[in-house]
Amino acid sequence: MKLTLRPIPGRRLAEQLREAGVEFPCGGEGICGGCRVRVVSGQIPASGPMRLLLTEAELREGWRLACMAEAAGPVTVEVEQWSARVLTDETGTAVEPRRGRGVAIDLGTTTLVAQRVHLETGEIEAVETALNAQARFGADVMSRIQYELRHPGELTRVIREQLGAMLRRLAAGQPLAEVLLAGNTAMHHLFCGLDVTPLAGVPFLSPHSGARRFPPEQMPWRAPTLFLPCLGGFVGSDLLAGVVATRLDRKPDQQGLFDIGTNGEIVVASRKGLRCASTAAGPAFEGGRIRHGMRACEGAIDAVHIENGRLAAHVIGEAAPRGICGSGLVDAAAKALDLGLLLPNGRLIQNPLPLADGVELTQSDIRQLQLAKGAMAAGLKMLAREASRLRLAGAFGNYLHLGSARRIGLLPEDVEVEPAGNAALRGVRMLLLQPSSREERIGRILAMTEHVELAADPAFQDLFAESMRLEPFRFR
Amino acid sequence: MADLQKLYDAVLNGDQKSAVSITKEALDEGCDPMELITKYMVPAMDEVGRRFECEEYFVPELLLSARAMKGALELLRPLLAASGAQPAGRVVIGTVKGDLHDIGKNLVASMLEGGGFEVIDLGADVAPERFIEAVQEKKADIVALSALLTVTMPAMRRTIEAFEKAGIRDRVKVMVGGAPVTPQFAREIGADGYGENATAAVALARQFVQAAHP
Repeated sequence: MKLTLRPIPGRRLAEQLREAGVEFPCGGEGICGGCRVRVVSGQIPASGPMRLLLTEAELREGWRLACMAEAAGPVTVEVEQWSARVLTDETGTAVEPRRGRGVAIDLGTTTLVAQRVHLETGEIEAVETALNAQARFGADVMSRIQYELRHPGELTRVIREQLGAMLRRLAAGQPLAEVLLAGNTAMHHLFCGLDVTPLAGVPFLSPHSGARRFPPEQMPWRAPTLFLPCLGGFVGSDLLAGVVATRLDRKPDQQGLFDIGTNGEIVVASRKGLRCASTAAGPAFEGGRIRHGMRACEGAIDAVHIENGRLAAHVIGEAAPRGICGSGLVDAAAKALDLGLLLPNGRLIQNPLPLADGVELTQSDIRQLQLAKGAMAAGLKMLAREASRLRLAGAFGNYLHLGSARRIGLLPEDVEVEPAGNAALRGVRMLLLQPSSREERIGRILAMTEHVELAADPAFQDLFAESMRLEPFRFR
Repeated sequence: MADLQKLYDAVLNGDQKSAVSITKEALDEGCDPMELITKYMVPAMDEVGRRFECEEYFVPELLLSARAMKGALELLRPLLAASGAQPAGRVVIGTVKGDLHDIGKNLVASMLEGGGFEVIDLGADVAPERFIEAVQEKKADIVALSALLTVTMPAMRRTIEAFEKAGIRDRVKVMVGGAPVTPQFAREIGADGYGENATAAVALARQFVQAAHP
């Protein structure tokens, strides 16, 4: 399967590849080589880690590591994982063959990914990715909800039109047998054209968060369409699909799935069933409200190390530094703590703290980070205390350096943590490929899931304040 | 003799245990409860506020100091009531309907108490009718409304409108605050004032009271 990607401003090629569904088994650290792709046209420079993991001959043939990929122009790559149809997911995708083609869509607040899948073989034949066109009406779900309340129906029209154009390119004139979508609760309501008023206030429970079916004539792509049901509250079908992909519903042991973004969403499995919750973190992890904050793209500091007792920043694309992205921010705080430039209570000894030419960290940046990580860690402590293993979904979780995340107390020290790639997209595809057992499995997951309203628990406030401290924590 | 400077330090450092034990000791020795508040605890909370302003303190430190002060105040309150001491003013406070976030609101409530106000805390997700009831029942001078979510800000407007309908709008000063709230929004919805943070809220409440009883 060949995949052509054009550079999107503000996004790394590696990120585009991951969003398109390329799996990074080691979490994008460039250490396992499991995400190799072959460049068919265009240029992906061979960076250091690629030279270690690939032979000279392989490099000459165009093999590169997707997780390390950066490109200045359009490139076409062949994704080995997909044509072999061996996924890094433990289960692989079982296929119940049927005729025709279907599309699996991960409808994110920030990004959209649609994969065309051969329903007989399960092969991924084409992919479209884009930034969500609704973003110009608000970056996060709350501002979108607010916009929708003032301009009812407009965001529904915007997203359906955008997906319509993407699916037209994907279908390439062929009919589509079925289209399946997953997304958070706000994306679900906005796509389905539902009233978002219940999402704008306590208890944030919408009566319409179930699965939504649309007959072909209602959709621009003229195919039967299903938006998967939300798990509960603000925890949407992206997490439901993540549960399917990570088989959380089929494992009796204590496992958690954690999506870190502007909203943190957690699902934890135990013998008693699944419990889920969401916690609002604010935009710090996406570079929002950070003085030199930016998305993870060329010119962003995405990692910070200590060299000769001083902070040393790594910049994406070996370019001049322009700002800092979420993973860089977490790194910078962790290393500054190590050097004693930052105290566990969040106080910067030197304010501002220079990181690279023209990029510095301010006291207020650290406060934003404390708020964001405090909300996340408090949510984990409320829900996942028993968990022995955490899987990270979502873009940020896949680029985060785990050591730094533990150092600042965003993730527990004594729990195994592992990136899960684009688990939502994988889960949607799995459900697309197993039509006869789909309804039963979704119904079972919904029945075994309990949604917990964190803010309603007085203990949460104390945990939140306590979790703002920048120090490691343990569950046991 | 109890070292009262240590009461100041205990509140400033958020040490509830020491704050309570020093207060007990001082009361046993016959110290004036009002003096403990005005000479030590209020200045300590003012310093906490100052440190917050210059980014030396953050929310966790604020919460700890508020908790230390609350512990000491619980010992003093019955004595103050018995002595007939008048509070600086009465404030009804709550997070507006639809919003469950109350960390910021709790901080403002504690700081107001530390500032000598009697605070009637209605909690979170408070409907306009409950604010109205409390104002009438407690003869409050000030109502403080909090919201953390942009989507619950309209509930502030609806609360003030309900005050007008109930005919109590002229009887109380309304102040608003919370992360998404701006001075401009406060003016738009007809609030009497906006507090950017807990310290600013106390200063504002003092202004309201002084304007009413010069």
